[in-house]
Amino acid sequence: MTSRLAWVALALVLLVALFVGARGDGSPPTDAERSARIARSVRCPTCRGLSAGESDAKAAVAVRDEIRRRVARGQSDDAIRAYLVSRYGDDILLAPPSSGVGLAVWALPAVAFVLGALGLAAAFVRWRRLTAVRPTSEDRALVAEARAP
Amino acid sequence: MARWSAAGVALVAVLLVTLLATREPAATQVASSALAGHAAPEIAGRELSGATLRLSSLRGRFVLVNFFATWCTPCQREHPELVKFTQRHLAADDVRVLAVIFDDDAANVRRFFAAEGGDWPVVADPRGKVALEYGVRGPPESFLVDPDGFVLTRIVGEVDADGLDRLLAQAGAARS
Repeated sequence: MTSRLAWVALALVLLVALFVGARGDGSPPTDAERSARIARSVRCPTCRGLSAGESDAKAAVAVRDEIRRRVARGQSDDAIRAYLVSRYGDDILLAPPSSGVGLAVWALPAVAFVLGALGLAAAFVRWRRLTAVRPTSEDRALVAEARAP
Repeated sequence: MARWSAAGVALVAVLLVTLLATREPAATQVASSALAGHAAPEIAGRELSGATLRLSSLRGRFVLVNFFATWCTPCQREHPELVKFTQRHLAADDVRVLAVIFDDDAANVRRFFAAEGGDWPVVADPRGKVALEYGVRGPPESFLVDPDGFVLTRIVGEVDADGLDRLLAQAGAARS
């Protein structure tokens, strides 16, 4: 019973921490913060493995300038990313799109996690049942006989 | 069993070599572009001569928009082919080349053209805005724009005069 309460308390603490973490400080991001966040989510067009936010390549600087211009014009993050995709294609995005084939990239790890968790839970239940097996009187008699001098 | 495996590998190798050997030359290797079929983004830039040029002012003929840099070896290799291509079409004036400097200095480009020839307009793109509008990832990259101002094809890598003529013939046939 105590152990169950401990698990419930742990789950509650986790949920509250997630909720507080997800909310942030509540203030909306500035234009500069938004621009930086969008730039970090797209690839530098001319270099490998770097986002447009990290690279000093001229093409990355051009992408950052364009993002800043569009943020200042009041465009949404999605609209700005859609513009970049309309120029470079889907692979300009560092994170795959959450629709179509790209959805599989997001969904597969989650499905694998759920299946793994279910498998573990099933295994724990099975092991518990196995440990719960009590010796029968016949078992006890056999042991007593074996231990008799 | 091992003999059959070896024969299978050999067959695949032969097919691969045949495929590579019979591939079309570089200029006909068009790459996908999100811009294909859409209006070509306007290019309004300063030429090396100082005059301002607009892509839209070239309507009525095909335009090959060529992103290049003097430091790029494939660009150096394709330059004589572009010279040949423009000379072939000089009389008919059915196609123009419009070069856009990709991450290079105008002074380098001036020296390069003086040494290698070529008299097509070259536009500077100091902030990389034109390259971004066309989604260029690195030079050389070229876009064939039709006489109405729509992007037909994107060519990644160096071009050659014959390959460009084939593309042009295909585009002309599709329009008629």
